[in-house]
Amino acid sequence: MTERILTARMEAHPADSHTLARYEATGGYTALRKALGEMSPADVAAEVKASNLRGRGGAGFPTGVKWGFLPEDLRPRYLVVNADESEPGTFKDRILLERDPHQLVEGIALASYALDVHHAFVYVRGEYPKPARRLQRAVDEAYEAGYLGTNILGSGFDLEVTIHLGAGAYICGEETALLNSLEGRRGEPRIKPPFPAVAGLYAKPTIVNNVETISTVPWIVAHGGRAYAAIGPERSCGTRLFSLSGHVNRPGDYEIVMGMTWRDLIFDVGGGIPDGKALKAWIPGGASAPWFVPDEHLDTFVTIDDCAAAGSMLGSGAVVVMDETTDVVAAAHRIVKFFAHESCGQCTPCREGTTWMERILWRILHGEGRPADLDLLLDVADNISPGLRWPPAMTTICPLGPSAVSPITSIMRYFRDEVEAKITRGATVG
Amino acid sequence: MADAPDQVSITLDGRVVEVPRGALLIAAAIEAGTYIPHFCWHPRMKPVGMCRMCLVEIDTPRGKMLTTSCTTPVADGMVVETSSPVVKKAQEGVIEFLLINHPLDCPVCDKGGECPLQDQTLAYGPGDGRFVEEKRHYPKPIPISDLVALDRERCILCARCTRFSEEISGDPLIEFVDRGNHVEVNTFPNHPFTSYFSGNTVQICPVGALTARPYRFRARPWDLEAVEAVSTVDSVHSKVSLEASMNEIVRISGVDCDPTNQGWLSDKDRFVYEHLLADDRVVVPLIANGDGFREASWGEAVGLAASRLADLGGAVAGLGGARSTNEDAYVFSRFLRGVVGTPHLDAQLDDGLAPEFAAAVEPRALIDDLDDADAILLWGPDLKEELPVLYLRVRKAATAGAKLVVVHPRRTGLDDVAAHTIRYRPGEGPALLRRLAAGEGDLAEARDALGAGKVVALVGRPGLAEPAELAEAVAAFALTLDDARILPLVRRGNVFGALDMGLAPTLLPGRVSVDDAERRRALAARWGSLPDGVGMGATDILEAAASGRIGALVLLGVDPVRDHPRPDLARRALERAFVVALDLFVTDSTRHADVVLPVAGLGEIQGTVTNLEGRVQKLNRVVPPPGQARPAWSILDDLAAALGSELEADAVEKIFEELATLAPAYEGLTWDRFDWAEGRDGVVVPLEGVTPPLRHVPSDPGLAVVSERPALHLARVLYDDGVLVRHCPSLASLAPEAAAHLHPRDASVLAVREGDRVRLEGVGVVELPVVLDPTLAEGTVYVPFNLAETAALGAVPSVRIDVVREAGS
Amino acid sequence: MSWFAGLLGPWRGFAVTLRQMFRPKVTTQYPEEKRVKPQRFHGRHVLNRYPDGMEKCIGCELCAGVCPARCIYVRGADNPPEDPVSPGERFGYVYEINMLRCIFCALCVEACPTEAITMTHLFEMSVTSREDAIYTKDELLVEPDGTPRHPQPEGPLVDLDELRRGHGWLRATAPSGRAAYEGIVAWTPSATYGEPPPERGQAGVTDETDGES
Repeated sequence: MTERILTARMEAHPADSHTLARYEATGGYTALRKALGEMSPADVAAEVKASNLRGRGGAGFPTGVKWGFLPEDLRPRYLVVNADESEPGTFKDRILLERDPHQLVEGIALASYALDVHHAFVYVRGEYPKPARRLQRAVDEAYEAGYLGTNILGSGFDLEVTIHLGAGAYICGEETALLNSLEGRRGEPRIKPPFPAVAGLYAKPTIVNNVETISTVPWIVAHGGRAYAAIGPERSCGTRLFSLSGHVNRPGDYEIVMGMTWRDLIFDVGGGIPDGKALKAWIPGGASAPWFVPDEHLDTFVTIDDCAAAGSMLGSGAVVVMDETTDVVAAAHRIVKFFAHESCGQCTPCREGTTWMERILWRILHGEGRPADLDLLLDVADNISPGLRWPPAMTTICPLGPSAVSPITSIMRYFRDEVEAKITRGATVG
Repeated sequence: MADAPDQVSITLDGRVVEVPRGALLIAAAIEAGTYIPHFCWHPRMKPVGMCRMCLVEIDTPRGKMLTTSCTTPVADGMVVETSSPVVKKAQEGVIEFLLINHPLDCPVCDKGGECPLQDQTLAYGPGDGRFVEEKRHYPKPIPISDLVALDRERCILCARCTRFSEEISGDPLIEFVDRGNHVEVNTFPNHPFTSYFSGNTVQICPVGALTARPYRFRARPWDLEAVEAVSTVDSVHSKVSLEASMNEIVRISGVDCDPTNQGWLSDKDRFVYEHLLADDRVVVPLIANGDGFREASWGEAVGLAASRLADLGGAVAGLGGARSTNEDAYVFSRFLRGVVGTPHLDAQLDDGLAPEFAAAVEPRALIDDLDDADAILLWGPDLKEELPVLYLRVRKAATAGAKLVVVHPRRTGLDDVAAHTIRYRPGEGPALLRRLAAGEGDLAEARDALGAGKVVALVGRPGLAEPAELAEAVAAFALTLDDARILPLVRRGNVFGALDMGLAPTLLPGRVSVDDAERRRALAARWGSLPDGVGMGATDILEAAASGRIGALVLLGVDPVRDHPRPDLARRALERAFVVALDLFVTDSTRHADVVLPVAGLGEIQGTVTNLEGRVQKLNRVVPPPGQARPAWSILDDLAAALGSELEADAVEKIFEELATLAPAYEGLTWDRFDWAEGRDGVVVPLEGVTPPLRHVPSDPGLAVVSERPALHLARVLYDDGVLVRHCPSLASLAPEAAAHLHPRDASVLAVREGDRVRLEGVGVVELPVVLDPTLAEGTVYVPFNLAETAALGAVPSVRIDVVREAGS
Repeated sequence: MSWFAGLLGPWRGFAVTLRQMFRPKVTTQYPEEKRVKPQRFHGRHVLNRYPDGMEKCIGCELCAGVCPARCIYVRGADNPPEDPVSPGERFGYVYEINMLRCIFCALCVEACPTEAITMTHLFEMSVTSREDAIYTKDELLVEPDGTPRHPQPEGPLVDLDELRRGHGWLRATAPSGRAAYEGIVAWTPSATYGEPPPERGQAGVTDETDGES
């Protein structure tokens, strides 16, 4: 359980892990040298496929398979790295950008080489000025050192990398909205199909990958896909960054091998709940994931498939822990308010529905709830995500609307009595 | 599984139907008789799947899935549920969501009664709302242009308007602002929604968020009486519905007619009805009296006109008919030739093309040919200004991939979508054409684009100062290409119909040459007599009238003082001759008339009209003419009777029957055919009879007009100071500022800056402010035609420019 | 027998006459005397105002649209923003009812979204020319203080007080006829007359307490 793939360098050299000198001194860019020197692009792609690496952005789609969706004959192709990390509780990409940007740059170069991409983009969240600065410096250094630009390391491979700063929209983390934003349009998700792999940026074949996914590529190329696949359980192999926050003694980013139980993660890795309070619930994979509760899920394994079977997801790896003092209605209200604020406004159910749910929750929270509001809340949620099942059905283009439903179904499933008490007893806040 | 290769079979609510392959599910289902409610989807625009109203359940390998039918193409074997409980729940949910922020001020909303949101709420809504919070509020309607008001509270954010202006009309002046629950439609700061097509957004708005300011609160949908007609503002003849309340036309809406306008209209088409209600419309016969007119009875006015015409024998000429119906034009033609006995008649004012060329150039393109053309050559007027609905069709074809080559002295509305834009100085057209035909130098690529596949050549006069023969030369070049068709561009309402009815010195009704002995015999037999010889055209007629050789002019809806390239000549002619004018208004021309007879206008008469591709369509009547105004054919019948002849023109159906027997191209058409089935989209009459004289080949040196002085580009704008626009209060104010447009380099040679005044000397002298226009060909001055300040200039190849220096500067 | 019955017949008839002579008379001495009309009587229309004097009519033409006799002519216009005639964007600029065509069915009252048009108890509207039978907005609209107008002066044939009675039947239909709303006055009354009293069946009103107030 001590395997470190992504964070070893930053842990060993906290002062200068982001510099080119330190990166090179700790084995950086050897994978790129190896790939450009001895491997064909297909070899690199084959290693990634063999690694069984699954995307770290949230959906967990196998990266190698995704890469295989690019049409053979269409050029140019683009690689877009999604660094628009803005879900509440998620801060894993931030340390990768801030503390080990060269790892990402090398990953971009490797992925671009594998995919025959000559222009890659990194879409960085607008509220990440420092990570963006660090990454830009790393890219500049890489250009200077010949790891980017024309004829990289004498191999004849050319690659441009452009860093683009978003303007503060969570929705631009959705890959097609990100592409629209990158093109200078309104950040609104596109209708799929066509998928970005077929018609993405500027209607050209485009691969959109998460920062963590791409940052893993140098290790895979250096050590081989099989070595990566051998770490951890078969279908959730490799290490993964978790952002632990909320009521835990030691919040922060942790790189762990998947396969431990939630009990291990919260109580061992996170150090348990402060002041010896009881655990009430936790969000296993970002604000859009349905919640877990100790009675049912403490011994569920932290793998993509186990969590999906239990009705939630690992998502973006943001684990928010709530202790017994948490007002679940307030927590749900805060999350729904976030989604209502971040809705792009394109689809009717999401634009109107998220705001409506937020207002109902506000009413309940402030003692103005009515008995009929519980059914109303669930029915409005049902009109955004029919059937209220997991994985969610949608009446919308993208999953943002259904994401706002998750906290509501969670509190209504596990804490309905608390919500009802708010309605009968009146306000507890405000 | 479907048998036909272009069909697939789908199961729609348990019913197996054959639908066209590749069609969108929503369109296929509606076509097959299953209505799917929708707001954002519009059959003429790309789907966006935003409103989520058209959700249906489709069977997939992973079970039934809710999907928007507007973004899903049909596939063979697809199983679709459009009214399952899940779908119904989703529809009710969407309606409820849409209504939570909708003000429900239906009683004061212009859309109330014909509102898709109302209708679909009734049909698919939950019947009750559960939203108890305060709705979203915005200031009530804000004017976003002179024609359109926006009420953001009512908006359901379907993006139809924003997509129309970006996708269809190409002037994206209206967009979404903000996000989430705060999204609103708005214009950009300090940029009003000044599109020539803004009215279409009002029509396609599924709620009352966008309303037309001229129509605002004028009527409710249930008290509108509507008939189909076509817009006779220009020669495209967009299909419209004329909607009247209390015997006044209060609204014109576009009707989707596949071969012509496809539902769209220009704002001029849409709001031109206002002229019918103008206070100064002529509604009783007028007889000149000193400087003005006095009202007279029909008997007195017609008697006076007839006695003077009879006195003059054959020294009479007729002008006009290009704004009238085919029946009016035919009767005018018969009246002049058969009753008055003059061969001098012209529907155009030497501002168009040669009559034989315009009426019968072959092979003639249909507007629909644009859709599958590989290349389009546009060498003619700026379509956006002169034939705006045709502009939309060309734009659609060009965005769909046709290579568009635009040749014009300055930037045109289509330059954005053109593959090649070529500028030239007016007068140097023939030389340019020679170089284009040879593919010389920088024109090689444009020549190559025209070299392959189906080509549609849109040819007309780029400006009035250029000769009409240039268009024929361009057509002659186009005909050297493999597969080219010609669409001649002349703007005025029913000019093609008027030419077809023989309102040209060289043509007889039915696109027949005036020399055709056989047709002459047939006509003479019916008309009694037919004058010999080829008569004079408009300019010659005006010169003859000015010099006294023609003693009387009969004007039918024509304004030579404003529309003829030589306004001074027109004025002298009208001052000297005895003038009988049939018109809606006392215009700059009819002011000089001795007798003005009030005619009925659009929506007040029935008749047929012929558009630029030769499509005959019918105008219906929805209101009575005001006062004593009458159809022109009926007035001409009275005049003929007073002259002792019988035209037998006592019903418009009868006139049509007569012209359909005597005009070869119109043979076999019946009056009723336009009312039913495909006939509602009109009938394209075949080209017969006249072999168009392509008189000029590109190398003809006679065409070259090269002058040291600045060449004049005198071209029309959509909103000018013409009679109709001037009498439409909503449109008159939209006319652009009169100005002399100069290329910045020419301006610097003259040492003038933007806003300085210059004096231009053409036929007359005008003084105008300078506007710098870097898109203009160098050595050229562009002046908008027919604005009040530019009317005197006249169309001359080149002008003299003097800078007006302020005293003391 | 038949001849005998025939002989008796006239006497039977006289008996009816005789009996009626001693019954109370129902004849009212109209016009000196007037009958109390039922509360929901459909008489002449009035156009109401809000208590602040604003006109209720918004010129929506729903009354004209629903009118089976097509006797109403309405035209809306933009409310002058600085001096609005009615709340909102639009007001009734023209309002005319042709009383010769009107069948007093009250569908206009039912259709009105703002309860601007209501019916009173006045029915005497005889005129000496057809033009006078067309009531214009001037005649239909109540005064700013709520007093109704009438083209003819009060006299034996015109009891203007009848113009002040009416409204009653509205309660049965508004708003949406649910039992839960019974007794709740859900519309704004016209300026002068305050809230109309509850009607029979509403808010515990019984036959004893019912009646003209």
